[in-house]
Amino acid sequence: MKRNKSDAPSALADVTRKRGQWSDVLSRLFRNKIGLLGVIIVLLLVVLTVFAPLFTRYPYDAQSFPDRFKLPDASHIMGTDNFGRDLWTRLLYGGRISLLIAILASVISNFIGVFIGSVSGYFGSKTDTVIMRALDILMAIPPLLLAIAISSSLGSGPVNTALAISLSGIPYSARIIRSTVMSIKDSEFVEAARATGSRHLRVIFRHILPNTIAPLIVGATLGIGANIMAISGLSFIGLGVHPPIPEWGSILADGRAYIRDFWPIIVFPSIFIMLTILGFNLFGDALRDALDPRLKD
Amino acid sequence: MSLLQINDLTIHYVTRGGTVKAVNGIDLSIEAGRTLGLVGETGAGKTTSALGILGLIPKPPGKIISGQILFEGADLLKASQGKMRMIRGNDISMIYQDPMTALNPILRVGDQISEVIIQHSGCSKAEAREKSEGMLETVGIRAERAADYPHQFSGGMKQRAVIAMALACNPKLLIADEPTTALDVTIQAQVLEMMRELKDELGSSMLLITHDLGIVAETCDDVAIMYAGEIVEIGALERIFHNPRHPYTLGLFGSIPSLDKDVRRLNPIPGLMPDPADLPSGCKFHARCAHACDDCGSGSTELCETERGHFVRCRRVAGGEI
Amino acid sequence: MGELLRAEHLKKYFKTPSGVLHAVDDISFSIDSGDTLGVVGESGCGKSTLGRVILKLIEPTDGRIIFEGRDITRVTDKENIELRRKMQIIFQDPYSSLNPRMSVMDLIADPLKTFRLQSSADRRKKVFELMDMVGLSRRFASSYPHELDGGRRQRIGVARALALEPTFIVCDEPVSALDVSIQAQILNLLQDLQEQQGLTYIFVTHDLSVVKHISTDILVMYTGIMVEKCEAKELFAKPMHPYTKGLLSAIPVPNIDRVREKVALRGELTSPVEPKPECRFVARCPFATDICRREPPTYSEVLAGHFVSCHNVREINGL
Repeated sequence: MKRNKSDAPSALADVTRKRGQWSDVLSRLFRNKIGLLGVIIVLLLVVLTVFAPLFTRYPYDAQSFPDRFKLPDASHIMGTDNFGRDLWTRLLYGGRISLLIAILASVISNFIGVFIGSVSGYFGSKTDTVIMRALDILMAIPPLLLAIAISSSLGSGPVNTALAISLSGIPYSARIIRSTVMSIKDSEFVEAARATGSRHLRVIFRHILPNTIAPLIVGATLGIGANIMAISGLSFIGLGVHPPIPEWGSILADGRAYIRDFWPIIVFPSIFIMLTILGFNLFGDALRDALDPRLKD
Repeated sequence: MSLLQINDLTIHYVTRGGTVKAVNGIDLSIEAGRTLGLVGETGAGKTTSALGILGLIPKPPGKIISGQILFEGADLLKASQGKMRMIRGNDISMIYQDPMTALNPILRVGDQISEVIIQHSGCSKAEAREKSEGMLETVGIRAERAADYPHQFSGGMKQRAVIAMALACNPKLLIADEPTTALDVTIQAQVLEMMRELKDELGSSMLLITHDLGIVAETCDDVAIMYAGEIVEIGALERIFHNPRHPYTLGLFGSIPSLDKDVRRLNPIPGLMPDPADLPSGCKFHARCAHACDDCGSGSTELCETERGHFVRCRRVAGGEI
Repeated sequence: MGELLRAEHLKKYFKTPSGVLHAVDDISFSIDSGDTLGVVGESGCGKSTLGRVILKLIEPTDGRIIFEGRDITRVTDKENIELRRKMQIIFQDPYSSLNPRMSVMDLIADPLKTFRLQSSADRRKKVFELMDMVGLSRRFASSYPHELDGGRRQRIGVARALALEPTFIVCDEPVSALDVSIQAQILNLLQDLQEQQGLTYIFVTHDLSVVKHISTDILVMYTGIMVEKCEAKELFAKPMHPYTKGLLSAIPVPNIDRVREKVALRGELTSPVEPKPECRFVARCPFATDICRREPPTYSEVLAGHFVSCHNVREINGL
């Protein structure tokens, strides 16, 4: 008995077809209808904001006193704000800043978080204790306060704002990765990798990290929503983006004063933020499933 | 009348990926006071059959296609939910494979047993406590340990406690699903010994589900061999062990390394268990069978009595060719 | 054939909150090239730890390991990694021992990549050869482990262990997670490979019938110590230690006519945390006497090639 009976007529044709891992992932991603919706939402937002001038005929800072607080109509499809600026225009331009900073901050904090978390979780003992206590200190500082401190020392600007926001996100992603790594590092397949001579870095990058993708993606997509709100907080106290440059959070913050009398100024920015978070969440969930070979078909 | 009589029971799981034909028309009966060993490999449908008897098949995706399960003459498949709840734990109880997860980690062991007793007999808390301590003593655990939590018990003691819980209401039928698979061999011997004694003492019948023919040899009166949701051979213990007829049964015996004889190479059954969502036509075993002829791949094969009380599901055995 | 591996007074202690756990306590043995040493015992007896200590996946606390005539007990990390090419392991659980995100091809090629052996085309060729060798159809090369059954997965584990062409393999319960008919297929495969490639095995298991079938010599472990060691046939014909006797009589045998000497063991194995100076088996032993409670027995050669660690071995066995 060297071979299973059912193996014997081996279909050699399959062997020659080397399955491209990425084409596999993409095909799975696009078969998921809800995930596709997420992709479309995200792409739509990116296209709208990046090519904002193509979708509007107003500049974002053109004030017009007679046109204040106009409800949506043919000339201003989302109405105007308290300075008579076209809301649709401001939301498109504002999306540039919000999306850029939010995504950048999420990428930075998760990138650093993955590194710190995996080192901490993999090596354990003293390394872990030192890193985790340091992160605890970071976590003890209120995120906004931390971001204020960094912004004020680095100065404003999109990259600095992203850095300021990402710093307070590091402990969260590091903790998620650390706990996942700790549960995976004791699996037999990790031991098997060590038994076949893999060095620590190879074990971490090839065997452990690919298995932490699920919580990582969920954390990152949720983080994008939180980041948008954090930017507005910074802008509100003048450290994020300076007026009149629009940004979703600050439009919302400015609109707060008129919430009882003029609904568009609150509703439309909220819809944009909600769509962003929704889009990234759906996209993230689908990506997580597409990357997991166990959930194929 | 048998205590339990199953007629033509068929259970399928209907999923989006296809219909999993877990149990396909099994017939068996257990007489009062006897132990039936239900033997088969992973995916043979043993556990599904047991859950079917207890009315615990999750629906959906599970679906009972046909059959009768007569317990003391009444069809359990027609019984109401409430009636089944009364029967479970009282008339029929189950011992699960993994003692580590069968006990609730945050409740005292004694309380867990009392709870079962209170539920079915409606006696007072004090009575139930006394009874549960008595049960623990019966399975060889000192009564004062009733106040312990499961994590303070060793693996063997946990399984004893699970057995105490299963026997708390003097069930007429005990279903044991691989009760000793998670235990070490010396502990397994202790637990099996205890189960044999208790069963004789209480006069219960038992359905013992296992993959281990050794355990069957030591505990059972009758044996049913299951393959791909069907019973392929059934009969009294001596008949099956002295005169196994079905090629699958023979294959199982050939796969086990012997302690008595020196065999240089084992004779495993070639190939794999068929996917229950995609069963072959004809005899389910024909693709792995050394004696299969062209006919075996089509039509249905019925159980055939080769000697008194010994049934084999194989056309070639029935035809006297093997 | 000559000696391939020798362990001398090997010890592995772990610090636990309740004291020092003597997981492996003073184990010595030697294996000749091409032989199989079976290590049997119940869960918690330290048999898996022993296998990993010998492979240097865990650092021993004390003792020496001599492999191919060279002391490998204290080697640098680099030498340790080089050792992987000669010493390999096959794991118990074919589910958790394979990275779920890697295809069969990647899994088997991984050791080759680690050592940067061969070009990627040669590697593919080599993987296919290995798949043929372990009886795994080539069409599964791009499958993922979860798509395969336990027997095929275990074949992947075997192929991965063979990829670096080792001379010595620790098989850690390689068939206990498999159904009997599949178990027999894998056992036959391991035997075939041993013959074809002259492999030397340490076969760690709790299943005595499996160990009898595959081993040349057998070592019985109990709570970290070795209680009995001899040739496989001898152990089953003449078990001398009370624990071995109990273990043998506890196995359910699929034979209803067999009459056996029954040695019932009481109680359960306790973990060797801060063991007292007594025989570790004393609480479960039906033959225990005073001396057993006073001092631990020494490990001695009772008959030629038959080692037992028991004070009363001669009385019990009428020698």
